[in-house]
Amino acid sequence: MEAWWRALAFSSGYNTTLVTVGAMLLGASAGMIGAFVLLRKRSLVSDAITHATLPGLALAFILIGLIQGDGRWLPGLLLGAALSSALGLWLVQLVSARTRLGEDAAIGAVLSTFFAFGVVLITVIQSMNVTGQSGLTGYLVGSTAGMLAAEAMLIAVCALGLLAAIFVLRREFLLVCFDADFAQTQGVNTWRADLLLLMLLMAVVVIGLKVTGLILIVALTITPPVSARFWTNRPPRMVALAAVLGALSAYLGVTLSSARESLPTGSLIVLSAFGIFLVSFLAAPRRGVFASLMAHQRFRRRVHLRQGLLSMSRSEPIFDGLTLRLLRRAGHIRRDGVATAQGQAAARDAEHEERLWALYRQLFPGDALHHEHAGLEPISQVLPPDAINALEQRLPPQGESA
Amino acid sequence: MNVTGKISDTVAASPLAIQGLTVSYDHRPVVYSVDFVVRPGSMTAIVGPNGAGKSSLLKAALGVTRRLTGDVRVFGRPLEQMTEHIAYVPQRNSVDWDFPATVIDVVTMGLFRQLRWWQLTRRRHTDQAMESLTRVGMEAFAERQIGELSGGQQQRVFLARALVQQAELTILDEPFAGVDAATEKAIVEVLKQLRAEGRTLLCVHHDLSTVRDYFDEVLLLNVRRVAAGPVDRVFSAENLQATYGGRLNPVQLERLVPAALATPGAT
Repeated sequence: MEAWWRALAFSSGYNTTLVTVGAMLLGASAGMIGAFVLLRKRSLVSDAITHATLPGLALAFILIGLIQGDGRWLPGLLLGAALSSALGLWLVQLVSARTRLGEDAAIGAVLSTFFAFGVVLITVIQSMNVTGQSGLTGYLVGSTAGMLAAEAMLIAVCALGLLAAIFVLRREFLLVCFDADFAQTQGVNTWRADLLLLMLLMAVVVIGLKVTGLILIVALTITPPVSARFWTNRPPRMVALAAVLGALSAYLGVTLSSARESLPTGSLIVLSAFGIFLVSFLAAPRRGVFASLMAHQRFRRRVHLRQGLLSMSRSEPIFDGLTLRLLRRAGHIRRDGVATAQGQAAARDAEHEERLWALYRQLFPGDALHHEHAGLEPISQVLPPDAINALEQRLPPQGESA
Repeated sequence: MNVTGKISDTVAASPLAIQGLTVSYDHRPVVYSVDFVVRPGSMTAIVGPNGAGKSSLLKAALGVTRRLTGDVRVFGRPLEQMTEHIAYVPQRNSVDWDFPATVIDVVTMGLFRQLRWWQLTRRRHTDQAMESLTRVGMEAFAERQIGELSGGQQQRVFLARALVQQAELTILDEPFAGVDAATEKAIVEVLKQLRAEGRTLLCVHHDLSTVRDYFDEVLLLNVRRVAAGPVDRVFSAENLQATYGGRLNPVQLERLVPAALATPGAT
């Protein structure tokens, strides 16, 4: 516990601090690019990319091992991983563009084939006479324990570069995510933007291999954006928040794993990300579980109040206890059940609204269906003023229709 | 016969001149060898049955989908150099309305060309977007989530996004499909204002009964160009039957085309 506090406060040594900062930058760029990939509805692609890194990683290890006797040389390994995942990505595109298979089927086929090939190569490595074999498992589940300062620096610098690149391309990405056809008319080359998006995703995945491992990096590109989606409805904020949550997950995970040597970093980062997701899922305003429950209660009270007011306007008796309580609390009726002046006015307003809504439903049945609570929300919040004016004019005089 | 000659004055003045345009999906042409020059300052409808290639024609003319053959010019110059002069209002259902964005976010997307990558969206940009929203009567909805809008409101937002570009030519794909009557009226008002400002409008339109009221030029299309020109002259029973392959019944036609035009010389 004490070791964790020290790590959290960045005071457990230069190396650990450097690794933590590097991982946080990685988490931020993974969250940021992941947010765009999520909005583009291509989160599954990151799965293909990560699995496709394995054969390249293993081949690079063999090659480097044959040359210098020890296969552990981070830049070389990352390059190998990048090349093979690029090949995998290209194959996915090729299969989905040239055949009748969808992208998901293509991803499934490519992902498993590449991963299988990678596993075979790993077995080959184990029978080879090359040192540093144990270091290779670090790329499967992630390990920051024995990371060199130079390696951490490389990851940090790359992550920073990626963050900058994503920032530059943010508007283009957003436009393509929302409306690709429109983006094309704005002079955006949609095909190129998609390619850049995937290349950046691939770069994040590759530099993250050492930190979270090649399977778990997927979680870092998906979970923080999904959590961010709970908190905000605006894309710039969602992207920024995904970056922050990604950095936070990495921070918690790396510090936790540095407190206890034996704990795998990647798993802890992913579990931290999941913890953040859980909190978002439960507690986020509007979209969280609790907020939904409360909103349901509010909705129920609104229905009661509206029905009560309508009953008042039509001079019908009210029997429902909750309705009476709500009317009394709002000051619409007195304790003895007699309507106050304010209550009478509110009842008249409610009746008028009801008639406007009824007319709207009659005139535009299709549109009315689209409004979830058509008839309960104040019509002025749902329809533009000119539409309401048009309705008002067509409203039959009171008493003509029942 | 001059095959390679210079471009004509009509083409040079037109905000969109299409020549020999063919669009094909898997060897099946959906638009075949269409020539059409949009008259500057006009409000032009593209009319034709389902599957006639109306949207495909627009998308190819905009460079969204690839064209097999054909030349598209904007004020006499190749489309690729001139895309900033064209604003596009896609079909409402072409996007996912659950996308996390507010109304003002979507309208601001229309400012894409004005905003460089290092710029943040500033007050003056939001003001521009608000101005467009006001023109379509949606200023009160700026902060609203786009998923909460009705069909008509979505269409207004799309129109506002196009307005913010202040383009010479606005191309709209079925702007009145599935919108309420008030919205249809509001959109027509905005379009007529634009025309009064000297801008050009090109619209895929599905409601034959309103063509005469809204538009002054029409292109009748069914994969091939059937007829094009002023509504008064071109929007005739004969041409409509040719476009719709005789699928319109006489009662329908009578309502669309005044008797005098349907049978020339009868009265």
